[in-house]
Amino acid sequence: MANGLKADLSKCTGCQLCALVCSATHTGKFNPSESRIEVQDLFPEPGEFKLNFCKQCDEHPCVESCPVEAIKLNEGLGIYYVDKELCTACGACVEACPYNGCWLDPSGSYSIKCDLCGGTPQCVEVCPKKVLKR
Amino acid sequence: MAGDGYQGKVLRVDLTNEKITTEPLNREWAKEFIGGKGLGARYLFEELKPGTDPMSPENILSIWTGPLVGTMTPLTGRYVIVSKSPLTGTFLDSYAGGFFGSELKFAGFDGVIIKGKAKKWSYLWIKDGKAEIRDAKNLMGKDTFATEEMIRKETGEKFARVACIGQAGEKLGLISSVTSDLTRNAGRGGTGAIFGSKNLKAVAVKGNLGVEVKDIDSFTKMAKEMVLKDVVENPDHAGMITDGTPILVQMSQDAGILPTKNWRTGTFEGTEGINSEALKSRVLVGKKACFDCSIACGSLAKVKLGAFKGAWTEGPEYETLGLCGSNCGIKNIEAVVKYVEDCDRLGLDSISAGNVTALAMDLYERGVLTKKDTGGLDLRFGNEEAYAKMPEMIANRRAIGDVLADGAKRAAKKIGKGAEKLTVEVKGLEYPAYDPRGTIGMALAYATSDRGACHLRAWPVAADAYGSQDPWNPEGKAAICVEDQTRTSVKWSFIFCDFYSVNFPNMAKYYSAVTGVDSSEEHLRQVGRRIWNLTRSFNAREGFTKKDDTLPERMEKEPLPDGKPKGKAVPKADFERMLAEYYKLWNWDEQGRPTKKSLQDAGLEDIIAKLPFLK
Repeated sequence: MANGLKADLSKCTGCQLCALVCSATHTGKFNPSESRIEVQDLFPEPGEFKLNFCKQCDEHPCVESCPVEAIKLNEGLGIYYVDKELCTACGACVEACPYNGCWLDPSGSYSIKCDLCGGTPQCVEVCPKKVLKR
Repeated sequence: MAGDGYQGKVLRVDLTNEKITTEPLNREWAKEFIGGKGLGARYLFEELKPGTDPMSPENILSIWTGPLVGTMTPLTGRYVIVSKSPLTGTFLDSYAGGFFGSELKFAGFDGVIIKGKAKKWSYLWIKDGKAEIRDAKNLMGKDTFATEEMIRKETGEKFARVACIGQAGEKLGLISSVTSDLTRNAGRGGTGAIFGSKNLKAVAVKGNLGVEVKDIDSFTKMAKEMVLKDVVENPDHAGMITDGTPILVQMSQDAGILPTKNWRTGTFEGTEGINSEALKSRVLVGKKACFDCSIACGSLAKVKLGAFKGAWTEGPEYETLGLCGSNCGIKNIEAVVKYVEDCDRLGLDSISAGNVTALAMDLYERGVLTKKDTGGLDLRFGNEEAYAKMPEMIANRRAIGDVLADGAKRAAKKIGKGAEKLTVEVKGLEYPAYDPRGTIGMALAYATSDRGACHLRAWPVAADAYGSQDPWNPEGKAAICVEDQTRTSVKWSFIFCDFYSVNFPNMAKYYSAVTGVDSSEEHLRQVGRRIWNLTRSFNAREGFTKKDDTLPERMEKEPLPDGKPKGKAVPKADFERMLAEYYKLWNWDEQGRPTKKSLQDAGLEDIIAKLPFLK
């Protein structure tokens, strides 16, 4: 898991700035629904926030599950990313991931997951409470 | 992809005829009034017939965002409810943070205008540019926490955001609020009763459409820098980041302006039990932010021991600690946590609820109210057991709660026997937690606020009681109020949070970067003057004049008995002097009504013909 984002959830306040900057970077607009990181802030009562994002785990079952080999290795960063052009939005990776690390874009046309913004993850830069680390 | 921050759409809902339409945003007004408070005020001024009964189907209930809401502009994840207040009869703008405002924007709307009254209890469901009126039968009698959860289940949207009323709004209590994201309230002025009067239990929303700005790359780069430099590292925000608003409890105690035992004094012997240290050492569990906020002032608090074990809230905030704490003689923060959790669940404004509870305690101690009135409760100041039952009694209109549910002014009139002399309100809205006998400018700020006594229009307390200036010298206080009201009119139109100490040049910078509109400090000051003249005109058209810009009698005649302001009151002559100066600075007439000149100067020529008093 050495190459993915890491989060210290005890510091997270649920502000969603990570999701905002992520959507701006990947889609050109502010839209947390299209972000590669999801903030779960639903409280029946006080507790920790939960962040869903791709951990770049060693097992990467998403890669094996993909029937069209759309999840590819970025050798420079040592991480797997979704090739939007190849993805058929079948949802196999979403099913396979044990960490809720990937999901379908709201348009339903492809799977999305963290690609570390090509090496400079914007969420890490913007997080005001220093929750996220590379 | 490029946009201008706006979605360009307004949702119109006619509950009587079950008709829903979408119309283009009035772009001219958007340019003149920005969004939020200003834009809402312009639509309301245009569409609401003067003299309309606020509880009638004809009243307009509108919900607004602003051009920056949903973008990365720091601390702008907010919404405002704009209407005519049933509590005060004035213009009403009531704000909440949380996540509802940005979600409404992401669903494709700048604002929602609701008219009429549904035939049966309903809720409005908005998703991605579409809306429908749904049956709320199953939600009736449910508190706001349950309502939010049930709507999420019913719509199948795990992250739907819900603004709803609890039992207090259902029972049309005039101090009821609209609660969103469990603990965030558009609290003041009876927003809950407006929902209730329309048979509207909730507005729920989910949005996946996003918001576009003029140039995403340059804007994001600038916003990232500002989050760090102007928010996180800004010394003005240090106390808000470490403590949040409870830091003010001790500051008010030291200045002798902390409302205590129904405004009898401004210093409280039990402050150690309700101040920020008490919060941090006894109930704090973690910090919680609203959408897009790098401060995260919200304190997740949970009671760990004693009679109120298990009670929790996000807060309590300063106003609640003052009005529901010291003003009720409550010395333990655990009791306040329980009280405010109930206020949130039942949908009650904690500032007003604290005030009416303290009033009832005062009357009970004076023998005007007895156990017969209180439903058997021994309602002495500081009796936590009786105190903790009050929100439920007020919301459900049980025993004395029935009269208290409509605010201090109406309650005192009904109770009589001298109760009228004990209330502390302006235009029917109860005072927030800064006693003007130790910060004289606040008397003017409360008197001239456009929605009744409010601390969010002008806040002279910062410079005197909390600062270095003389808190009893009336000199210059009118100018501070004019300056603050101009700035906050703009701030509440974008809609920035109060806790972002954002100056005019930076507001102009965000505005230009998002919308592409050429802006500057002077441009925004003109917008602020325009908005404040507009809301004043709305109130003047409803018949409000100088006679309504009042100083509660006790503030004049009852000097504070102890603390730093010992022996001080607000001399009537000083108040009158500040008020006259204030009208003059705004170029209003001696009755405090806008003049042709003030309206022309503010760029409001088009409303002159609609103001009978200018004919």
